Amino acid sequence: MLKRLAICLSMVAGAAFAQDRPVVATVNYPLAWMAERLGGDAVEVLFPVPEGRDPSFWRPGLSEIAAIQQADLIALNGAGFATWTTRTSLPRSRIVDTSAGFSDAYIATQSVTHSHGADGEHSHTGTASYTWLDFAQAAQQAEALAAAMQRRMPELSDQIDAALPSVLADLAALDAETRSALIALQGKTILATHPRYQYFARAYGLDITSLEWDAGAMPDDAQWAELQAIADQTGASLLIWEAAPPAAALDRAHVMGLTSVVFSPLATRPASGDFLSVMRGQIAGMGSAR
Amino acid sequence: MIRALAFALCVAALPVSAHDLRVFASVAGETVTVETTFSSGRVPTGGEIRVLDADNVLLMTLEVGADGKTQFPLPEGAAETGLMIEVDVSEGHSDYWMLTPDDIAYGQGTN
Repeated sequence: MLKRLAICLSMVAGAAFAQDRPVVATVNYPLAWMAERLGGDAVEVLFPVPEGRDPSFWRPGLSEIAAIQQADLIALNGAGFATWTTRTSLPRSRIVDTSAGFSDAYIATQSVTHSHGADGEHSHTGTASYTWLDFAQAAQQAEALAAAMQRRMPELSDQIDAALPSVLADLAALDAETRSALIALQGKTILATHPRYQYFARAYGLDITSLEWDAGAMPDDAQWAELQAIADQTGASLLIWEAAPPAAALDRAHVMGLTSVVFSPLATRPASGDFLSVMRGQIAGMGSAR
Repeated sequence: MIRALAFALCVAALPVSAHDLRVFASVAGETVTVETTFSSGRVPTGGEIRVLDADNVLLMTLEVGADGKTQFPLPEGAAETGLMIEVDVSEGHSDYWMLTPDDIAYGQGTN
């Protein structure tokens, strides 16, 4: 009886604690990780994208939007990431675009030109949005997030001041490790199953040619043929998968003479580990897969 | 010949226009207004608006108005749950806008 009462009391206390904490809503996992590192237990981090969904194109439900609108701070990635953020009203005073500080360094993506309707030939240009894969840029995003959190949650200012140097140091170390681990890949063409790695390639001096394959899916015959043609043309021997494909796909790539590495951009939360540990493991894996 | 070549080069150098569909919805009192344009400013020639509730149940289907503007009465109960507005235009583009209860309350002057 006493044990049950104690459990009930602790649940009530826990709920009250959760309600009292300021909420930081984020559009991707790297920002959620930064907010968790900066705010610790003093903040509640809301990253509502369901598992298995691509946060770049995820469309929230109305109840999810309503919850995000209520957050104390809404952390956007910027660079066109999370298209839903331009399709609803978000409270301007509670938004931070974490990549705005380096918007002049955004990478324009290849446009698709087609023709229909009265506009004649036209294009759909875009912006590469996986900005955090340049870990120096990720550090700038962490700084922007920290400043916004301090502005919106002044009571946490000291805590954020104390936590930020450690986050920046970790990202600087990751940046240096990546630069060192991948130096032997410079000058070689690398293939990737999806165009996610523009900032990664630029930051670490890599030449990455991207396909448009679905993450984690078995490619069809036409896609294999395209891969073979590009591999023949470029001499590439390394293939980056955005998500682990079926074993048969890895086998087929191997038969084609390609070494496969799975390198998730971590737009979504990993099943285990965190941004830093998983990214470190992936970089080490890529560095050794020559 | 040179003139024709120069003209051809000029035409080739012209940038192709870029356009995306833009949808915006707002509430004023008991009326919902949906505005649909391309980013180029042009109004689409025809299209369909689907109005869904918070459970993704289709409440009504409307035509995009001639000036890209379409109005309809706020459905019963929408103020509590919000509305999802989806637009498909005849030229293969689509977009959406999410009206939350907060947005509707703001439009009704109750927020």
